[in-house]
Amino acid sequence: MSIEIATYLMVFAIFVLLVLGLPLAFVTGLVAAGFTLGWFGPVAVPLVASRMYGFITEYSLVAVPMFVFMAGLLDRSGLARDLFNAMRFFAGRLPGGVAVQTLVVAFFLAAISGIIGGEIVLLGVLALPQMLRLGYDKRIAIGVVCAGGSLGTMVPPSIVLIIYGLIASVSIADLFKAAVIPAAMLMIGYMLYVVVMCMRYPHMGGAHLEQRSNLPRLTLGEAFKGLFFPTAIAGLVLGSIYGGIASVTEAAAMGALGVLLAVLVRGEFSLRLLQESLTQTLETCGMIVWIGIGAACLVGVYNLMGGNRFVSSAITGLDVAPFVIVLVMMLIFLLLGMFLDWIGIAMLCLPIFVPIIIELGYDPVWFGILFAVNMQVSYISPPFGPAAFYLKSVAPPDITLTDIFRSMVPFIVIQLVVLGLLLYVPALSTWLL
Amino acid sequence: QEWKVQINVNAGDDEYRIAQQWAKSVGKKTNGEITIEVLPTGTIVGNNETLDAVGAGIIQGHITDPGYFSGKNPAFAVYGNMVGAWSGPEPFLDYMRNAGGEEGYNRLVEPYGVHLIRAGAVGAESLISKRKIESLDDLKGLKVRAPEGMVSNIFQLVGAAPVNLPTSEVYTALEKGVIDAADYTVFSTNYQQGYHKYAPFAVYPGFHSMPMKDISVNKALWDALTPEQQKILEDSVDAFTEQLITELQKKDEEQVALARQKGDVTLTALSEDELKKFRQAARNEWSRWRDRSPQAKEAVDSIQAYLRDKGML
Amino acid sequence: MKKLRSTSDDHLDACAPEPGHGLLDRGIRRGGQVIAWLTFIAMLVSVYEVIMRYGFNAPTEWAHETTTFLVAAIFALGGPYALATNRHIQIRLLLDRLSPRKRSVLELLNLMLGILFCVAIGYAAWVLAYNATHAPTGNWRLETSGSSWNPPLPAFTKIVILISIALMAIQQVVRIATHRRARPGREATK
Ligand code: NA
Ligand code: NA
Repeated sequence: MSIEIATYLMVFAIFVLLVLGLPLAFVTGLVAAGFTLGWFGPVAVPLVASRMYGFITEYSLVAVPMFVFMAGLLDRSGLARDLFNAMRFFAGRLPGGVAVQTLVVAFFLAAISGIIGGEIVLLGVLALPQMLRLGYDKRIAIGVVCAGGSLGTMVPPSIVLIIYGLIASVSIADLFKAAVIPAAMLMIGYMLYVVVMCMRYPHMGGAHLEQRSNLPRLTLGEAFKGLFFPTAIAGLVLGSIYGGIASVTEAAAMGALGVLLAVLVRGEFSLRLLQESLTQTLETCGMIVWIGIGAACLVGVYNLMGGNRFVSSAITGLDVAPFVIVLVMMLIFLLLGMFLDWIGIAMLCLPIFVPIIIELGYDPVWFGILFAVNMQVSYISPPFGPAAFYLKSVAPPDITLTDIFRSMVPFIVIQLVVLGLLLYVPALSTWLL
Repeated sequence: QEWKVQINVNAGDDEYRIAQQWAKSVGKKTNGEITIEVLPTGTIVGNNETLDAVGAGIIQGHITDPGYFSGKNPAFAVYGNMVGAWSGPEPFLDYMRNAGGEEGYNRLVEPYGVHLIRAGAVGAESLISKRKIESLDDLKGLKVRAPEGMVSNIFQLVGAAPVNLPTSEVYTALEKGVIDAADYTVFSTNYQQGYHKYAPFAVYPGFHSMPMKDISVNKALWDALTPEQQKILEDSVDAFTEQLITELQKKDEEQVALARQKGDVTLTALSEDELKKFRQAARNEWSRWRDRSPQAKEAVDSIQAYLRDKGML
Repeated sequence: MKKLRSTSDDHLDACAPEPGHGLLDRGIRRGGQVIAWLTFIAMLVSVYEVIMRYGFNAPTEWAHETTTFLVAAIFALGGPYALATNRHIQIRLLLDRLSPRKRSVLELLNLMLGILFCVAIGYAAWVLAYNATHAPTGNWRLETSGSSWNPPLPAFTKIVILISIALMAIQQVVRIATHRRARPGREATK
C-alpha cells in the first residue's frame, strides 16, 4: 500500500468511527493502533504507548487542570454571575456588548497563557452559560468562546510560535512581535461580526430579555463590585507573568489559588464547592486529554509510515509561481487541520515547508504567522476541532457538537479573510519588526 | 535496507542539516544498500524513549544525548556529560575511541538491544545570562535553567539555583525574568533565535558542558551487517562528528563576530583559575555518581584512569 | 429519574448524561473524588515553587517533576472517571436517529471497539510499564527521572497509565455484560 492510499484510508477510518459514535477519546487511538499493527506488526505497538507517555507528561499541559479548576470555582461561586452582570451593565446600549467584552476577557486570557484547552474550558464554564442566561444566541456565544479562546496560541506568549521558532530556527522575539497585528485583526474581526449581527438581529444579543425585568438592575457600585475580584485575579496572574515571578505554566496555578482566596473572602467557600470543582477538573481533563493522547499516537504512526513523503510529494514537482506554492501550503495546512492537531502538523510539514519558503525568498517570520493563523482555523474546523471538543466537555448537554461546529462557520470565514489579507499584504505582520 | 534514524534536534538546526548529509553519504558509500532517513526530534517518539524504540526496532537508530537515559542507568549521565572532565571534544573522543570508552558504552547499551556505532560530540555549549558572569561568584544565586543530570547538581554546588524547565519555556522564562540564565544550546543557535534580547551576556566558549553524541543502531540490525558495511558506517560517523564539530564551531565564530559587530551581546570567559575551581567542584560530584550503579562506577573509574594517565587530573 | 436540563448555576452536574450504574462505575466515581485532590496538591506545589524561587531565590529540585507527575495522573485516571460518568464526547448524529433496537446494537459495537482500543494500547502500555520497572536483565528496577532529585516518577506514571487503560477495559466489559441483560427491560419502559 502506498502512503497516499494509506492516508485516505486513515481519514476514512476516522470518519467512520466518528459517525458510529465511538467516543472521540478512542477514535484516533484505535486508528493509530490499527495502522501500527497493520503496517508494522506488534513490534511497533510500544510506539503508541511511548507517544502516550510523552503527551501526558508534557509540561505545558500542567496549566490545563489549573484552568479547569479555576473555571469550576468561578462558576460555582457567585464570581462569574456577578462579573457578567457587571459586564452587562457596562455594555450599556452597545449591541452584543457582553460578547464583545467576553472577547476582551479572552484576549487577556490569551496574554497569560500559551496553550489551547484551558482557556476554552475556562471561557466555556465562565462565559457560555452567562451569555446564554443574558439571552445571547447560542451561535454567537459558542463562536465567541471557541474563537476567542483559541487566540491564546496566537497572542504572545504563544506555544505555537515558540515551537515554530524552534523548528524553523527563527527568532521567537520577531515572531511574537509579528503576531501582534494579525491577532488584533482576528479579534477585531470577531468583534465586528458580533456587533453587526446583534445590530441586525437584536434578539441575538439578548435584546428581547433586556425589556423584561427578570434580569437584575445593578447600581454603579454593584457593577464595580462585580468587577473587583476578577480584575484582582487577572492582575495577580498577569503581574506574576510580566513581573517575572512565575512561568506561564505556574501562573495558571497562581490564578487558581487567587480564585480560591477570592471565594474565601466573599464568604462563599464550602468544602462541597471545592470538592465539586476538583472532581469536575478530573472529569474534564479525562475527557479532553484522552482525545489528545489518541491524536498524539496517530501523528507518531503517520510519521513512521512516511507521512512526510506524502506531504512533500504534494509540493515538490509543482512547476508553478512561488506564490502558488505558498497557497498550496496553506491548503495543506487547512486540510490537515481538519484531522490532526497543530503539533502534528508542525512536525509533519514545517521541516519540509520552511526550507522551501526560505529558498523562494520569502520571510520565514511571515510564514510563521501564516502558520499560526492556519492553526487558529484548525482548532475550530470539523471534524477534528480541538476547541469544539474542549467546549463540548463543559457545555450544557443540549449544546451538541453539531451546534458548536455550525456556530464556527462565520468565525472560520473571518479567519480565512485575515489569512488572505496577510498573504497579500505581508507588511501587516512584518511591519513591526 | 531503509533506516529511520531520529535525532534530538529540530529540523531548523544546523545539526539536523549535517546529519542529513551524513545519511546521504552512507547511502552513496554503501551503493544504496543502506539508506538512512533522519527524522527531527519528537517525530516518532520522545527523546527519553528513543533507546527503547531503537531496541524494539520501531526506529532503526538514533542520534542523541545519552543524558536522556540517565533515569535508566546513571552511567548514561557519566558518559553523556561528565562535567569538568573534558576541556573539549578531542580528549573526550580520544578516550571513547582509544581508551575503552566505546566498549564500556556498548556494554551499557547492548542489553537494551542497541549498538553504538561510534561516539560523537558537539562543541561546548554556551551559557547565556542576564547578568555578567566572570567568576564562579557571579553564579551565586543565579537562577539558571539546566537540564537534568550532573550539570544541574554542579551548578548547585557552586551556589547557583538550577531551575528545571522544558526547552519550550526557556524563551518566555528569560523574557519575563523567571530565570536569569540558561544552559540551552550552542551560541549560534541561541543568537539566531534571539535569546540575547533578554539575556545579553554569554559565557563563550562554554565551560560547563561537553555533551556526547550517541549515534547508535538496533543491535540485531548491526550484527547482520557485513564487516565492510560496519566499517563504512563507523568511518562515516567519524566523518560526521568531524564535520559537526568544525561546522558548528565555524558557525559559532561567525555569529560571535556578528554579535561583536552589532554589540548586542557581551561575551565573557572564566579565567583559568576559576575554571580550575569549577572542575574541582565537579570532581567532588563524580564520586557521588560513581556509587549509583555498577556501570556508573565502571565509567567514572575508567574516565579517571584515562585522565590520570594523560596527566589531566 | 434525574431531569436532564440545564440551569445556569449548576449545569455541570444537573444535566450530565446518566452515569454508569454498575458497581465498578460507582466505585470509580467514589475513588475519583479522592484522586481529584491531586489537582489541589499540584496547585499548592506550583505556588510553593514560585514562592521559594522568587521570594527566597531557592528553587526546589522536586516541584517541577512532582507537578508533572500529579497532573499526568489526573489526566490518565480522568479517562476511567469520565467513562464512569458517561461523559466521553461522542458524535451522536447516527445514534440518535436509530430505532432503540438498532441503537442498542451500535452501542454494543462501540463498546467492543472501545475494548479493542484498550487491548491494543493496553498491550503497549504493558510493555512500557514493564520496561520502566525492569532492568534489561529482568531484575526489578524502577526507572527514575535522571535528574539530581532522581525520583522513580517516570515508572509510577507508566504504571498509572497501565492501570487507567485496564480500568477502562474492565468498565466496558462489565457494560457489555450488563447491556444484554438490561435491554429488554429498558425497551419496556420506552
Ligand atoms: Na498566549
Ligand atoms: Na480541525
